[in-house]
Amino acid sequence: MVARAIKRASYTIFAATGVGLVLVALFLLSRTAQNSADFDRLHNVILAINIAGVLVLFAFLVGNLSRLLREYRTHVPGAKLKARIVGMFVGLAVLPLLVVFYFSIQFINRGIDTWFNVEVEEGLENALRLSRAALEMQMRQHLSSTQQISQRLGDVNERQLIFELSMMRRESGAAEITIYGSNNRILATSSDSSSAGLPRPLAEEVLLQMQQNRPYVALDPESYEIRTAVLFSYRGRAEPSGVLQAHFPVTERLARMANSVDTSYTEYQQLVFLRGPLKSTFTLTLTVVLMLSLLSAIYGAFVLSRRLVAPIQDLVAGTRAVAEGDFDTRLPTPTRDEIGFLISSFNDMTQRLATARREASLSQALVEAERTNLEVILARLSTGVLALESDLRIRTANQASGAILGVDLENRAEEFLPDVAKGQPLLEQFVDVAQVHLSAGETEWREQIVLRGEVGRRVLSCACTTLPGDEKHAAGYVIVFDDITALLQAQRDAAWGEVARRLAHEIKNPLTPIQLSAERLRRKYLDSMSEEDAQILDRATHTIVQQVEAMKDMVNAFSDYARAPDIEIGVFDMDKLVHEVVDLYRAQESGIEIVLTSDPTMPMIEADIGRVRQILHNLIRNATEALENTNDGRIDVHVCAAEFEGVDVVQIKVGDNGPGFREGSLNQVFDPYVTTKPKGTGLGLAIVKKLVEEHVGSIRADNNTDGGAVISIRLPIHEAAREAVIARSPGRADKRRERA
Amino acid sequence: MAQDEIERVGYFEIRSASTRLTGGVHTLDARIQLVLSSEALRALSSGVPLTIELQLELIRVRRFYWDDDAAELALRYELEYRPLSQRYIVRNLNSGDQDSFATLYSALNNLGRVQGLPVIDDALLEADSSYRIRLRAMLNTQQYPAPLRLLFFWRDEWQLQSEWFEWLLER
Repeated sequence: MVARAIKRASYTIFAATGVGLVLVALFLLSRTAQNSADFDRLHNVILAINIAGVLVLFAFLVGNLSRLLREYRTHVPGAKLKARIVGMFVGLAVLPLLVVFYFSIQFINRGIDTWFNVEVEEGLENALRLSRAALEMQMRQHLSSTQQISQRLGDVNERQLIFELSMMRRESGAAEITIYGSNNRILATSSDSSSAGLPRPLAEEVLLQMQQNRPYVALDPESYEIRTAVLFSYRGRAEPSGVLQAHFPVTERLARMANSVDTSYTEYQQLVFLRGPLKSTFTLTLTVVLMLSLLSAIYGAFVLSRRLVAPIQDLVAGTRAVAEGDFDTRLPTPTRDEIGFLISSFNDMTQRLATARREASLSQALVEAERTNLEVILARLSTGVLALESDLRIRTANQASGAILGVDLENRAEEFLPDVAKGQPLLEQFVDVAQVHLSAGETEWREQIVLRGEVGRRVLSCACTTLPGDEKHAAGYVIVFDDITALLQAQRDAAWGEVARRLAHEIKNPLTPIQLSAERLRRKYLDSMSEEDAQILDRATHTIVQQVEAMKDMVNAFSDYARAPDIEIGVFDMDKLVHEVVDLYRAQESGIEIVLTSDPTMPMIEADIGRVRQILHNLIRNATEALENTNDGRIDVHVCAAEFEGVDVVQIKVGDNGPGFREGSLNQVFDPYVTTKPKGTGLGLAIVKKLVEEHVGSIRADNNTDGGAVISIRLPIHEAAREAVIARSPGRADKRRERA
Repeated sequence: MAQDEIERVGYFEIRSASTRLTGGVHTLDARIQLVLSSEALRALSSGVPLTIELQLELIRVRRFYWDDDAAELALRYELEYRPLSQRYIVRNLNSGDQDSFATLYSALNNLGRVQGLPVIDDALLEADSSYRIRLRAMLNTQQYPAPLRLLFFWRDEWQLQSEWFEWLLER
């Protein structure tokens, strides 16, 4: 920036120097035209200055012009405007200059020409001729009088020569008469008082003329004295003895007039001669001045245009910067005129834009932070939250939703939900229910959905609401759902536990008096009765006692269900335990075949051995009871270690070939008092389920395809496996926490 | 006009030049051919006086140093044509002497003949130094008005100047 300013300043100084040089040169030119003494000394300097000025200006012009052309071609902003301004200024400067130049040239030429007039020239010519004729007449007269003097003196005695000479000089009016002998020797001379000193020797041209035997007559160009010379010889001698030269003055008036004519004619001729050179010189000077003015004007046009266009170029650059998103551009405000106002307005605008953008980004950051918070909350939520677009594409889903529905929905944003659900039984059922509601146009709905999966029933409490959109279309839906399977189970368990406790308490109390009363009746009246009556009493009391015993068993079972002693985890061999239990039942010889397949290499299991034994007992007893009315009853017990959903489990399957579960009651087989057997409290499977769940295991009941029921249990094999299962299902964790 | 009507360039040339020591004073004898250009002749016949200058330089020869200008002498003559008398005046501007001639030829002839012109007193020169002396003739345009000189500056016809004619001063 600074370097550029220095460069620009140096350009300006350089150009100003050029213009200054030119002005000085012009001034000197005008001065030296008047003062000729300095001309030669200054001429070269002036010339050099002029040339330098012109060169500097020309170089600048060429530079500026090429730059302008380059800018114009590369579409630099403002170049067109600059070109137009330069053109305008040049036009404005050049036209008047050319007009002035043309008229000046015309004026000078005409002005110089008017000095010369044909009539004046002719008049002067005639005056000269007239003067010449007048003088020539005198010259002829003086020549003839000289010749007469020469002849007369030839007759004169040599001794009287000087006397005669003086007399004749006075007679003829000559100023001086001299007689030269051979070798230019003066023989005699006579002069009037006006001429002083000795007469000068004969001039060469006089001698030349004399040698050719011709008289000599000439007019002195300065004094207009007439000089005559003739040969002089004494009478009787053949050889001329010398030369006689006479000077005749003209009258003062004539001399003055002759001089005037001579001078006027000379001056006029000089002017005529000077006419051409003068014209050329003036034209040349004018042309130089014109060139300099023109170049200066054009250069000025460039400078001015640059000045004018610079702020506009700044504005264009600034506008571009703003368009590219740079709002921090500040333009320098050079002037206080309208352009300055425009630029300061531009600066205000960019400042406001920058402020607005800062605020926008600030609020965006705030929104972003809120969103992040929300995401964190959603992720931590055990409730599944699934946001859908109106066309059922997934907008967002939290981690819990994926965990509940068994699909990782979190990373499936933008995908079509029914497509994601394909092959995912839980999600498929969920989507089916949701689609029924959504296609019916229900915007707000709430439903408890029961999903059947591999690990058993899942009960979801589901609520859907529509996101606000425009008038016709919903922007999307949010479905919030909770896995309330465990909650429901807990509620049910609690209710049944309470019922069982009360029943046990309320029913057990009167049973003993009933039994005792019946036994007392029997003891007191059996012997005193007739045999027929005694038989009746015996049967009746027997029945009462028997039924009371049964009821006691039932009440005990209830109280077992209600009571939940603390779980005691220990390590034991599952294979050994299962053999013990099965052997016990085999020993009863109930006519039922029990087939046990157990893997002896199974690892040791970490569990409450009492509870697991109870599970096995209950299951086998349950199967035994189911087979009471069946011939060839058979129970299959299958125990093995396996891996289920990445967790090490012990899998226990107890199947029978009895009548199986009633179709439609499969969902409720684990609820208390649900039984298909004539005997049984209906608590067996409920207790099993409770025990299994206490071990964070899973249980399911099914009917075999060839008849009979099968109960499958999966128990985590060790504590780590249990933790893994808990971690995977938020509902279980809650339940476990509750229990802890 | 005695000289040709066709355009000619004109030239000045020193034909011969020498110095003699007569009576302790070095005198110059020289023959110079002066031929005027047509342009100069036109000016002369229009009454414009021409100044012809003879430049004489005396240079001390130094063996180990730049030669030294010991003396300079400029002899200026004015040549003028008077239309009334139709004569050419030759005026010695240094001495003021003047002479008139019927023809340009005789005037230029007179101008180009220098005889016994005293140059310098030998006593003024250093006794044991040797001197070179050189002469040239040129048309001087300094007395003309500026517009004319501006023009003459560019015209070859007005740049009449002989080469330097140089010889050793005999002592």
